Amino acid sequence: MGNSKEKAEQTVRSFIDRVKPEAGEITLDSPLYADGIGLDSLETAELSAVLEDELGSDPFTADEMPQTLADILAFYGDEVVADA
Amino acid sequence: MTEASTNGRVVIVTGGSRGLGAGIVRSYLASGDRVAACSRSRTPEVDAWEKDPETADRFLFVPADLSKSADAKTFVDAVIAKWDHIDVLINNAGVARDGMLGLATDDDIDTVVDLNIKGTLYMSRLVGRRMLARRTGSIVNISSIVGRSGYRGLAVYSATKAALDGLTRAMARELGSRGITVNGIAPGYLRTEMSHGLDDGQMDQIVRRTPAGRLGEPDDVARACQFLTDPLNTYLTGQVLVIDGGLTS
Repeated sequence: MGNSKEKAEQTVRSFIDRVKPEAGEITLDSPLYADGIGLDSLETAELSAVLEDELGSDPFTADEMPQTLADILAFYGDEVVADA
Repeated sequence: MTEASTNGRVVIVTGGSRGLGAGIVRSYLASGDRVAACSRSRTPEVDAWEKDPETADRFLFVPADLSKSADAKTFVDAVIAKWDHIDVLINNAGVARDGMLGLATDDDIDTVVDLNIKGTLYMSRLVGRRMLARRTGSIVNISSIVGRSGYRGLAVYSATKAALDGLTRAMARELGSRGITVNGIAPGYLRTEMSHGLDDGQMDQIVRRTPAGRLGEPDDVARACQFLTDPLNTYLTGQVLVIDGGLTS
């Protein structure tokens, strides 16, 4: 069990570890795209889909495009969610 | 090489309540898969699948007008709630309004474009995202030979079906690296709703010109769907298979 923010952070970090193993340490303010972690458009769509799959909603299709991990986490609340 | 199991896949067939769509639903139910179908209204076939002990637990029907984005989402959410994921999407729902383009009303054009193109895009976006999250899946878009050859009196319909072939190729390029195949089927003249607007003389002429010597049946197309969505066919994507008895060969 954890809250949505924690689960979202775990989901994003796990995703980046898988698709961008060369990205190195990810901070809350690391840029997600070309000048940072380097997610391309397909990887961004995939992250959006994975977040929706895990948490039922995602910030990419709901609001302005998140630019950092902190932007993604800001979309989620502190309610407790069950592990998948 | 190991045999990939097809048993128990989760398959969506849009427009699955009658005609070609019902034939495709029947095929996937027969292969042991779980099938979700939608259409604007239910039919006796839908009632039968829901009541038959052989299929009741493996069949889901949701009334939906896919030209409305919200209906498409409601349908996909219902499938996910019931079966957790989607393995196969057959974009079959479509509508035709026959008549010369010069006499078509705005409503005629909107009705055909909204369901055939926008409905297919809504479903492909929603289901494609689910497949993307799992890095597996197969999508088949049902177009038509009239999208390739054109047909007098079916200009809007032909345009929308040509659009689906473009969508097939673009989605195959977008999703191929993630283990998702996207193909199309362009049926010829079937003994179902495709004969809409054709008189007996036109139908006889079509049969005479068809090397196979007959109209197509829903099963002819359903078998191609099964082939294109076979889990072992991971190297077949971005293609449109013409199933027309050789008419346009």
